Amino acid sequence: MGRLLLGRALALVPMLLMVSAFVFLLVRATDTDPVRQVLGDGASDAQRAELRHALGYDRPLAVQFWTWLGAAVRGDLGRSLFTDRAVLASFGERLPATLGLVAGGLLVAVAAGLPAGILAALRAGSAVDRAVTGLASLALATPGFWLALLLVLAFGVRLRWFPVVGYTPFSDDPAAWARGLVLPGVALGAPSAAVIARQARGALAETLRATYVRALRATGTSRRRIVTGYALRNAMPPVLTVIGWELSTLIAVSFVIERVFGVPGIGTLLLDGVVRNDIPVVQGGVVLVACVVVLVNLAVDVGYGLLDPKVRPR
Amino acid sequence: MNADVRRRPPARPVTVACALYLLVLVVTAVAAPVLAPYPPDRVDLSVRLTGPSAAHWLGADELGRDQLSRMMFGARVALAASFEAVALGLAAGVPLGLLVGYLGGWWDRVAMRLADVAGSIPTLLFAFAIIAALGRGLTNAMLAISIVFALNLLRVTRGAVLVERERAYVDAARVLGLGRFRTMVGEILPNVAGPLVVQASIFLGVAQLFEAMLSFLGLGVGTGTASWGQMLDRSRTYAAEQPWLPVFPGLAVTCTVLAFNLLGDGLRDALGRAGDTGLPWGRSRRRPVIHATGGAVSRMALLTVRGLDVRFPSEDGPVAVVDGVSFDVAEGEVFGLVGESGSGKTMTALAVAGLVPAPGTIGARAVRLDGRELTGRSDAELARVRGPGIAMVFQDPWDALSPVHPVGRQIAEPLRTHAGLSRRAARERAAELLAQVGVPDARRRLDDYPFQFSGGMAQRVMIAQALACDPRLLVADEPTAALDVTVQRQVLDLLLDLRERFRTSILLISHDLGVVAEVCDRVAVMYAGQIVETAPASRLFAAPRHPYTAALLAATPRATEQVAGALRTLPGTVPEPGARPAGCRFRPRCAFAVGACAAGPVPFADGARCLRRDELVLGRE
Repeated sequence: MGRLLLGRALALVPMLLMVSAFVFLLVRATDTDPVRQVLGDGASDAQRAELRHALGYDRPLAVQFWTWLGAAVRGDLGRSLFTDRAVLASFGERLPATLGLVAGGLLVAVAAGLPAGILAALRAGSAVDRAVTGLASLALATPGFWLALLLVLAFGVRLRWFPVVGYTPFSDDPAAWARGLVLPGVALGAPSAAVIARQARGALAETLRATYVRALRATGTSRRRIVTGYALRNAMPPVLTVIGWELSTLIAVSFVIERVFGVPGIGTLLLDGVVRNDIPVVQGGVVLVACVVVLVNLAVDVGYGLLDPKVRPR
Repeated sequence: MNADVRRRPPARPVTVACALYLLVLVVTAVAAPVLAPYPPDRVDLSVRLTGPSAAHWLGADELGRDQLSRMMFGARVALAASFEAVALGLAAGVPLGLLVGYLGGWWDRVAMRLADVAGSIPTLLFAFAIIAALGRGLTNAMLAISIVFALNLLRVTRGAVLVERERAYVDAARVLGLGRFRTMVGEILPNVAGPLVVQASIFLGVAQLFEAMLSFLGLGVGTGTASWGQMLDRSRTYAAEQPWLPVFPGLAVTCTVLAFNLLGDGLRDALGRAGDTGLPWGRSRRRPVIHATGGAVSRMALLTVRGLDVRFPSEDGPVAVVDGVSFDVAEGEVFGLVGESGSGKTMTALAVAGLVPAPGTIGARAVRLDGRELTGRSDAELARVRGPGIAMVFQDPWDALSPVHPVGRQIAEPLRTHAGLSRRAARERAAELLAQVGVPDARRRLDDYPFQFSGGMAQRVMIAQALACDPRLLVADEPTAALDVTVQRQVLDLLLDLRERFRTSILLISHDLGVVAEVCDRVAVMYAGQIVETAPASRLFAAPRHPYTAALLAATPRATEQVAGALRTLPGTVPEPGARPAGCRFRPRCAFAVGACAAGPVPFADGARCLRRDELVLGRE
């Protein structure tokens, strides 16, 4: 187990390095001048050159990257060009809201998607199966932010069951925090629930066609026991992989959903950075999220290994 | 699988409907300036935030602009952005994939690594980074999507090329002197085109979702142009006053994405993806599994099968994969069921235990095991017979054991089900069984997984599981076909030994006449779903009475025989269940067929299903 984890973790280092370099090049490979944005059009060339020099933007790209990377591994992602706040700190303070949102979405996605997919597989070809498959197609095509708007209109504005906008931090009032996350969680999680349901249905249906299911049937083992004792366990790995992918999607899509509900997450910060061309914020934010995604994939990989007796050390 | 008699489905109405919707959408978008009832930007504050009305079918927005007109113009943005993104992705990804896949080596490794790196950044963030660098605007925003598509298509194309590269025809083309480039484009592209079209259709839907999302975030089209996403963004502010505002643009996005997705699914099905076969069990728990078809049955053996049919639905009505099969297996007897693949022997064995997968149906005048009638019983009732009554051993032992569960648990499963043993007692018994079938160090191996066993040992595990409840009848479906020749012998000996010890009857299914000759007491030969000859093994091999049996024997090498010249083979294959000839089913392949053979179904009489059974003198030369 330790070796598996260590091997995967070591493979992460070049990956993270390449991702950082990639994002760095992407954001810097541009002719838009970040300094112009900060100083406005009224500034003189001398003023611009001075600021550019102060920020280090006049040095070669490789040197800039090296400096940025050196600072980044020490936890310093630079400061916003506009607010002068430390990038890492501002993302850090907005992280809880995003995490809450993503957790809500994940909960909805798994809690709705997994049972629906399993039920559809066990009733393959029935009305239940067709209903689940059809709903999944619909949910996959529905933009989450539109669903969010409709949910707010129905359950917030009309029925007043849930708050329309605004966010209560967990530390202020856990109950209000949870209530506030219901609608965003549903809007965020619905498309992912569809993906998980489809995958679970496919994987379990596939497993039920396996020869060992027939062999177990031939021993007189009951359907229930075959499904709960053997088939579900065999069908899990691909579903777990998809849940891992969906987690990355949930993080990204939460940036859109938080706009509807006014949740102060990292999406708003990032979006402001993008609109204002605030390079340290965009760069730091994208690299941070990419790192989280890579780490999630690592966790899925390791989980996959734990499920597979061929990989699992004995 | 014999059951695979379904054909490619015709174009489904859903697919056609989606294509039609998209066509209408394209026409609307192109003709928007003509079709739209109002200019999209005409402000009319008198109808500000009104709902659907006769003048404004979908209502008006906060400036009194006509929603329907704006949506018609929004369709232009939606379609243009989606098609641009996908076209760019195709134009970049497919040639690169072809190139990388064809060149291989370092090119391949570097490209795939880069694809991995870019793939680890969520698409939306990728779009953020590109917009931060290049500035706002729909083209820049969609560029990120194009790159992600290109990477995906690169993977798909490369994967397909790697497969196709190995195929002989590319080599053949090379021999013909075609240039490298022409080889790639001319030979490979048509073969990868199908999956690419499917992928492109689904990407069009994804692109549409992203366009809406980015416009909603204010990163897409400028405020001057109408787009569905941007209309949704505006509606956020005024939805409390006019709840209709967000409904229609969102509906448009959803329908369009759904149409692209369903079109992609439809195309994939049309390209011949195998349809789902059904569940391993029928949907109803109470309905009988083997339907009784009526009629009297006289003689009684341990297993008596009369008039057994297995039918699968097809477009031309149900086809009988197994057609009126009757046989007996006496107590302690080894009964062989032989035939080429497709003859229906496996389905026959599964049907006896009620294990034909849905949507297959089983019918029989009688299936009696040890005096108990199995027709008309539900699956739950049959489950009590499986295990102590009938047990089965399958061809590939690794397939027949769950790969992620220790073998001890799998052997113990029937003991817990039927004998109601405790976990500990079942485990104890499993160890004994494993030792009995000749697995060394049995107790320690209970916690091992199937992949830790060799083929022969895994088959012994399988046999231990089948024997757990002392079955009266053991059905062994090609139990040695997947094993090494040296191990085959051992497994056969084990089966015979178990027969001696437990008086278990064995129904042995095999295409290997050598195995059958050695082990079986009596043999039935199957062809195209029917039994064509039944006889004691010694008689069958000495003097076959059906030309098919004789042909099978002639095609079987014997160790004692001096094989001079080429081995005789039996030309042709078993006809598909839906395409059987009228009259004798073997007639097209039979060397002795006469005009009468085509006249009508040949009855089974006197041990053989052949009109000329009494005049022909057949043998092994």
